[in-house]
Amino acid sequence: MVTQSTEASTTNGATPLIRLCGVTKVFLTDEVETHALSGIHLDIRIGEYVSIAGPSGCGKTTLLSILGLLDTPSGGSYSLKGNEVATLSFPERARIRNREIGFIFQSFNLIGDLTVFENVELPLTYRGMAAGERKSFATEALERVGMAHRAKHLPSQLSGGQQQRVAVARALAGNPAILLADEPTGNLDSRNGEAVMTLLGELHKSGATICMVTHDERFAQHADRTVHLFDGRVVEDRVAA
Amino acid sequence: MQALWQDLRYGARMLLKQPGFTLITVAALALGIGANTAIFSAINTLLLRPLPVEDVDRLVVSVTLREGFDPFGSPFLEYAAYRDRSHSFASSGVARQRSFNLIGQGEPERVRGATVMANYLATLGVKPVLGRAFSAEEDQPGGPPVALISYALWQKHFAGKADAIDQSLNLDGRSYNILGVMPPGFDLPGVAEVWIPLQVNIDNLPLTERAATNNEILARLRPGVSLKEADTELKAIAHQLEQEYPDFRRGWGVKVISLRQNLLGDLEGRVRSALFALMAGVGFLLLICCANVANLQLARGIARERELMLRRALGAGRWRLVRQLLTESMLLALLGGMAGLLLANWLLPILAVLNPIRGISLAAFLHNFAIDQRVLVFALCVSLLTGVIFGLLPALKSAGVHELMPRIQQRDQRVGGAASGRRWLKGLIVAEIAIALTLLICGGLMVQSFQRLQHVDLGFTPDNLITMKMVLPASRYSQYRQRVGFADQVLERVRTLPGVASAGMTTNIPLEREIAYDAIFNVEGGPPPNPNNVPITSHRVVSPNYLETLGATLIKGRLINKNDRAETLPIVVVSQEFARQAWPGEDPIGKRVRRVRAGQTFPWMTVVGLVKDVKEDLFNYRINRPVWYVPYAQVENDFPVNLIVRTSVDPTSLVAALRDVIHRVDPDQPVSDIMTMNTILSGVLVTERFGAILMGALAISGLLLASIGLYGVMAYSVSQRTGEIGLRVALGAQPKDVLGLIIGYGMKLTLVGVAVGLVMAWSTTRLLASLLFGLSATDIATFSAISLLLGLVGLFACYFPARSAMRLNPVEALRYE
Repeated sequence: MVTQSTEASTTNGATPLIRLCGVTKVFLTDEVETHALSGIHLDIRIGEYVSIAGPSGCGKTTLLSILGLLDTPSGGSYSLKGNEVATLSFPERARIRNREIGFIFQSFNLIGDLTVFENVELPLTYRGMAAGERKSFATEALERVGMAHRAKHLPSQLSGGQQQRVAVARALAGNPAILLADEPTGNLDSRNGEAVMTLLGELHKSGATICMVTHDERFAQHADRTVHLFDGRVVEDRVAA
Repeated sequence: MQALWQDLRYGARMLLKQPGFTLITVAALALGIGANTAIFSAINTLLLRPLPVEDVDRLVVSVTLREGFDPFGSPFLEYAAYRDRSHSFASSGVARQRSFNLIGQGEPERVRGATVMANYLATLGVKPVLGRAFSAEEDQPGGPPVALISYALWQKHFAGKADAIDQSLNLDGRSYNILGVMPPGFDLPGVAEVWIPLQVNIDNLPLTERAATNNEILARLRPGVSLKEADTELKAIAHQLEQEYPDFRRGWGVKVISLRQNLLGDLEGRVRSALFALMAGVGFLLLICCANVANLQLARGIARERELMLRRALGAGRWRLVRQLLTESMLLALLGGMAGLLLANWLLPILAVLNPIRGISLAAFLHNFAIDQRVLVFALCVSLLTGVIFGLLPALKSAGVHELMPRIQQRDQRVGGAASGRRWLKGLIVAEIAIALTLLICGGLMVQSFQRLQHVDLGFTPDNLITMKMVLPASRYSQYRQRVGFADQVLERVRTLPGVASAGMTTNIPLEREIAYDAIFNVEGGPPPNPNNVPITSHRVVSPNYLETLGATLIKGRLINKNDRAETLPIVVVSQEFARQAWPGEDPIGKRVRRVRAGQTFPWMTVVGLVKDVKEDLFNYRINRPVWYVPYAQVENDFPVNLIVRTSVDPTSLVAALRDVIHRVDPDQPVSDIMTMNTILSGVLVTERFGAILMGALAISGLLLASIGLYGVMAYSVSQRTGEIGLRVALGAQPKDVLGLIIGYGMKLTLVGVAVGLVMAWSTTRLLASLLFGLSATDIATFSAISLLLGLVGLFACYFPARSAMRLNPVEALRYE
């Protein structure tokens, strides 16, 4: 049965961390309009662990890009911590991304020329943080994911699972308001995939807000709320029992 | 063979498949190979190609030097000493340049010629194409009046008919029997058109005549004797002569140079140095081209990595792949070589116009810059070498990867591309910048040196001056007063011509190529002359108004005027350098000085004027040489006279009127060498101009190529790092951070290149030291300015790729990865 979720997700009355109201995204290719998202309403509260699921091409990644301020919606509104962010300038969006959002990508996206420590430290350098402070934040994040002992290694010297742990540490390092994970297990074998999901679960337990895109039902069940997309619409918003 | 054919076909197909890449590569290679071929062609023409004499590399010339640097003609005394004491030469001969008035062949004409010993032509190994050369008997004192004529003169006056032999030729009023016609293009010494035998018994001449420095000594080295050995031996003989004839020879030495160097007018070896500097310059340019092409190849190689890995997976060995890639490089290099040859063919006429040599002899050979077999072989070798240089590194790099599967799958999980591929690109761009900096510094130094030489204070004003030469024949001007009368009449009439501002006569035009007259002087009351520092001055016998016409600056006293006649007090006007050497720190006005020559006594001359230094001597342009000016009416001489006219109109518009005036005074008087002063000046700095223009052009080309290379590498790097940049933006990088990232990367490469280039330039420019004037080979200002320039160009080349990086959409960039 298809249910609308907006009412359910805002019933506790507190201001949600993220609120999307009627967000649409239209791509224009060779004068053909493609509606990637159509009237998305979605609230995410602080401390929630939300997974966004759906078949390939349903708009999961587009939604995550908009949530992460990497892309702008064609219509609707998007507020983060109660502030409208859909219409911000490019530099403003970059500033908010840097301070409020932590990204975890399917393909890890570590920079090959930088050491593990430098990769984790990278978002902090864009914040203009002093070197000493950066070191403390980055080390703490690496310790949280159990990779502090590999700080001086290059990504090429790590396994896929280890690389993804470093990517998680990078996302955590700046204490963001929310972690956005795009198929974080997509490039990992099942053992490493489980390990990363366990790590995300631990982070959630310690208070992190997480929004994860996945097409794998098994991993979607790790979240305490699952939003199903189909053809750019939310078709189900289910809170785990 | 079949595999090679297969590689060739596949290579050709790959090049056709990427026409943009092929076109850019061929154009870059054409520039490098074309420039190399053109400069080599100049070297081939000037230094390598055979000349119309026998075994030219064994022929040498002895140059007499005063104080070790000031070149003069050679005396018979030296020739006789070499003949009797030297063991270096298989044969030797003497020639003396002179000119004749050719009469009876239409309008009187001044022709250049020479009196030569019979063994001068024999030493050269040149034989007439028609008739015969002088016999030893015909070269004896009292021998018959016989002459050889040039091929051009034979064509012009005898229509190339064989019956010219035994016809008579009227030279300076004397009839000569034509014995033979010399080969086409042959005109040694000078640009001779007529040769008559010397007919002198040297040993019987008075010592003063034997010591006169007005001959050219040519010799053929004995087999096994080197030029250096001959030079050492002749220097020793010159030293003996100095001791044997101290009155005539003190302060005089000799230097043996090759005939070829003499023909280039290159006593100091500057033409050779300039040509080799340019060859090094074009070599550097080619290396920059190779680095650019190698960069393109590497970038293409990275793009083709999957194909190559598949080939390896299917069993192709590493060397098989290297061979295939090298075949493609060779194809490109040969295409570049062909285009380069076309470019060189287009450049050669420009090089011929810029001809770096002062010499005027054998112009048909030394001014004929053309592509011959040797140049073709050179172009082919350079093309093949180029193919190896730019092709080997990318080929080895592309064929040497061992991790096959990840490359085939293209599933590298890290952003930013393979670091090792970028390391090679970085290395190449650093090398390119370093070479470009070296080229720019060399070019900068040579251009500045040329500019400083051009702006040297000449001591006169060259604009609106026209000059012409007249040789007054002894047959009609046997009395000196007749010569003075001719000069006075011509000047009087010329000054009345419309458009003439002033006019004068002199025995030597400043900086002309002709024989320049000097005199040894003695200062009244001065210390005895230092044997190693014979006081010598440029000796100019001039009419009233000459110095005013030239535009010389009077510092003190007065100039020569019409009252300075034969019967009045002998006077002289001296230059500042003369005064500095003769009376250091004293006022020269009123002081007395006289000419010195063994066996002769000259009257004391009183200094009445002091003028600013005038650049008189072509061979001593870089220094100020003493000059004195003495009145034409007071100093008897048989030198040619030169009319010099300052005009208020275009000076060339007055040529006909000036000729007319001269012919009204003497209808039989030939006039020659009609030139503006600016034309004469343009012939002074030919080597420096050649070096400066070409090195400057090479430096600018190098800068452009290096900046294009840097731009290409940066643009490629941005495309390779699209994912990384997208990631950084996703993590919160602001546009200025992205700009800083790309520019910082590019500038780091640029600065490393500049640092390496500074070290390279520091050691390379020392080789240019002999070519530079007025600045050091390690001029700090030039080094700093060029480094700054290259830094700015580097910044500019990085800016555009950085700007496009700033505009990257992070979603698309991450998707790209």
